[in-house]
Amino acid sequence: MSVQSPSRGVAATAASSRFGAALGKPSQEQIVLLITISLLVVFGLTLNGFASVSNLLNLLRSISILGVLGLGMGLIVISRGIDLSEVAIMAGSWAIALIYMQNGMSVGAGVLLALGIAVLIGIVNGVMVAFVEAPALFVTLAAGFVIYGLAFWIAPAWVVYAPKDLPSLMYFGAGRLFGIPVPILVFAVAAIAMHFFLSRTSIGRFIYAQGDNPEAARLTGIPLRPLIVLEHVLVALLAWIAGLVWIGTTGSMQMAITQGTMIFDVVLVVVIGGISLVGGRGSVFSVVVGCVLIGTLLNAFTIMDVNSEVQNIIKGVVLLVSIVLDNWLHPRDEETARQGD
Amino acid sequence: MSHGVMQAAREPNPGAPSASREPVLRIRSGSKIYGGVHAIEGVDFDLHPGEVHALVGENGAGKSTLCKAIAGAIQLTSGEFLLDGKPTRFEQPRDALNAGICMVYQETSLVPTMTAAQNIELGNEKLLTRFRTLNIQAQQLLQSLNFHVDPATPVALLGTAKKQMVEIARAIYHKARIIIFDEPTASLTPEEIVHFFHLVRDLRSRGVSIVYISHALEESLQIADRITVLRDGKLVITAPAREFTREALVQHMVGRDVAQVAYRKPERSHQRREKVLTVENVTMGMTVKNMSFSVYAGEVVGIAGLIGSGRTEIAKIIYGALKRNLVNGGTIRLRGKPIRYRVPRQAIDDGIAYITEDRKANGFFETMVVDDNVYIGSLATRRGWSFLLSRARRSKLASYWVERLKISALQRKAKIIELSGGNQQKVVLAKTLVQDPSIVIFDEPTRGVDVGTIPHIHGEIRRLADEGKAVVVISSYLPEVLAVSDRILVARTGRIVAEFDAADATQDKILYAAVH
Repeated sequence: MSVQSPSRGVAATAASSRFGAALGKPSQEQIVLLITISLLVVFGLTLNGFASVSNLLNLLRSISILGVLGLGMGLIVISRGIDLSEVAIMAGSWAIALIYMQNGMSVGAGVLLALGIAVLIGIVNGVMVAFVEAPALFVTLAAGFVIYGLAFWIAPAWVVYAPKDLPSLMYFGAGRLFGIPVPILVFAVAAIAMHFFLSRTSIGRFIYAQGDNPEAARLTGIPLRPLIVLEHVLVALLAWIAGLVWIGTTGSMQMAITQGTMIFDVVLVVVIGGISLVGGRGSVFSVVVGCVLIGTLLNAFTIMDVNSEVQNIIKGVVLLVSIVLDNWLHPRDEETARQGD
Repeated sequence: MSHGVMQAAREPNPGAPSASREPVLRIRSGSKIYGGVHAIEGVDFDLHPGEVHALVGENGAGKSTLCKAIAGAIQLTSGEFLLDGKPTRFEQPRDALNAGICMVYQETSLVPTMTAAQNIELGNEKLLTRFRTLNIQAQQLLQSLNFHVDPATPVALLGTAKKQMVEIARAIYHKARIIIFDEPTASLTPEEIVHFFHLVRDLRSRGVSIVYISHALEESLQIADRITVLRDGKLVITAPAREFTREALVQHMVGRDVAQVAYRKPERSHQRREKVLTVENVTMGMTVKNMSFSVYAGEVVGIAGLIGSGRTEIAKIIYGALKRNLVNGGTIRLRGKPIRYRVPRQAIDDGIAYITEDRKANGFFETMVVDDNVYIGSLATRRGWSFLLSRARRSKLASYWVERLKISALQRKAKIIELSGGNQQKVVLAKTLVQDPSIVIFDEPTRGVDVGTIPHIHGEIRRLADEGKAVVVISSYLPEVLAVSDRILVARTGRIVAEFDAADATQDKILYAAVH
């Protein structure tokens, strides 16, 4: 279409998308945010003790581990990948490090050991996906089992306790800074750093480009293979940070979580917030909003004493609703999507 | 069974449709509104039995919308829809199909893992069918249409032309009396197009009415009985095809005169300039065999040839997107230095650019706006890379290219998927040219691009050559190759079989070399 004769079709779609943004179709983040705020207001008015400062801090604190893990998962889902070994990396790397610390390794060395193990697993995952070109879903699923087996072999216990009297290690889970629990601050700092990385750096742009269209990214000259390795290493890094908070909160690392549904909770908060599994869509804000929604629900259920089966049902329903929402917001076969033909 | 129907319809067509005959389909002031905006507005359209009616217009003019309304894929917001004189409303494509209206889509809608015969019967299966019976029926149908397709072959193994034959056979099988073709020749070779036209005339003589959409105006002029021109969703004119010329059609389509860019074809100096790229005996599997040619700075080399002749593959091999044989794969030299790229990034670093033939599949990033698409092209190079994004640099680069390529500036804030084909193609050009290449390979530079934009793109191709870059243009559209090239190579079955100087080349010579 030339400048002199702007086409109706194009004008129509441009106009309708502006129109949609203003009225009809807000983004998924905005809808989820709206739902979350309404839930907060409703629970605040109806539930005894929900609106107190201590409960709200507690709410935020309870989602901070999920949130940090969600940041990593969000990053890799934006790039059209997935990493199902994230929880296993968190548990496995720290369980091994804790065993060595029990046997006299210093805190600093132990923390670095956990970091080293996590990054190594990230590199192996990334190399398998990028260079061997195996599907990420299966590579990371298998990696999760291998890590679980290895960690259990080296540290044969369901629960590995942290050595006593290590305030510096516990600080990230149990400490407070200016009256705010440190886990919340860890999540906040990680979220801000990730937001900066994704939206202000060229590597962040490349990650979106890869998720949008990997073949176009390759033909444009984006170094896809190193990028994929980097993404898996970043996921492992966030798993390591989440593990630090976990140990500070519980004083131990439970290998059992690698066998549970936690990894699906991580995927859940990412998808709810509008990071589409198609890739290239969503942001850090999506993860934060998704986390707060889930945290609000779980916190309210705890106050209302709803049992965990019902909680699972509701989580499942929320996931389904968000997928329906995603379909409504990004219709696949609408005429508008073909106007450019 | 279709077989009987076709025999019944064997009488020859009594000639051009006369006005006295009742139209089989008539739309009166049809409108369709999407999100408050008219996609088509007050369009009158009628279709006589046994006529070929071409729909012509730029992208977004409303051709597809009109056809989808006819085929029941969408419903008109307002207006009359008369089938055989009776008001009709199709709630879904199936209703239209039952009424004998069938649309053959641009992207073929066949199930790839099923055989041709199964696809033909699809949607009309009996509970139990013997494969043998099915294949024999399909074979009879295909033979009666003069299609050489084995009914037992899975569709995935068929070429584009044969897939289209299966689609048409399916339409006949479903007793279609109105067939809508949306860009039927886009992926056919010249030979297959000739064959396809025979088929269209044959269908017409059986009394089938045909709606024909094509970007190639020459085709519409050649095959259609009447032509309807749409612009911005409105009817411009409907008239017998013989009353139009190509220029008149273009003028109706864009609503103004299109300036024909007069290409300055510089006198080719006999003293050749620097030889930039040499391809020697390059071989890749069965698609590229011993291909050899060279490209010089400051010239445009056109590569003509049929689909499957190895044109696109050789470009992708040079660019590192495909890999030639490791043993006896031949040599590619860049300014004398042998090269073998593993990934396109290395080619880009050496100043080679490749502009894809399929921009939707791998040309642009659909979730990003125009500026981001251009900027990311620059970021992906060694020189353009910086860790932090710079808004200033992004808008400077984008503004330069939006201006130079005349990308519709209104749409810079729009996501690229919402742009017209022509603007999308320009963005893909900008995203590549921002990498400052010294060799540019265009693959089908004006495929799916509206006529008003084609001169801009051809002008840019000449400009790049005038700037001293080596330019290669791969195209199935011979007038394009003839218009922009200084030198024309013809590829056939993986080899370069002929070379012409632009001054001596004609369509006939090129076509002869490409086919024989």
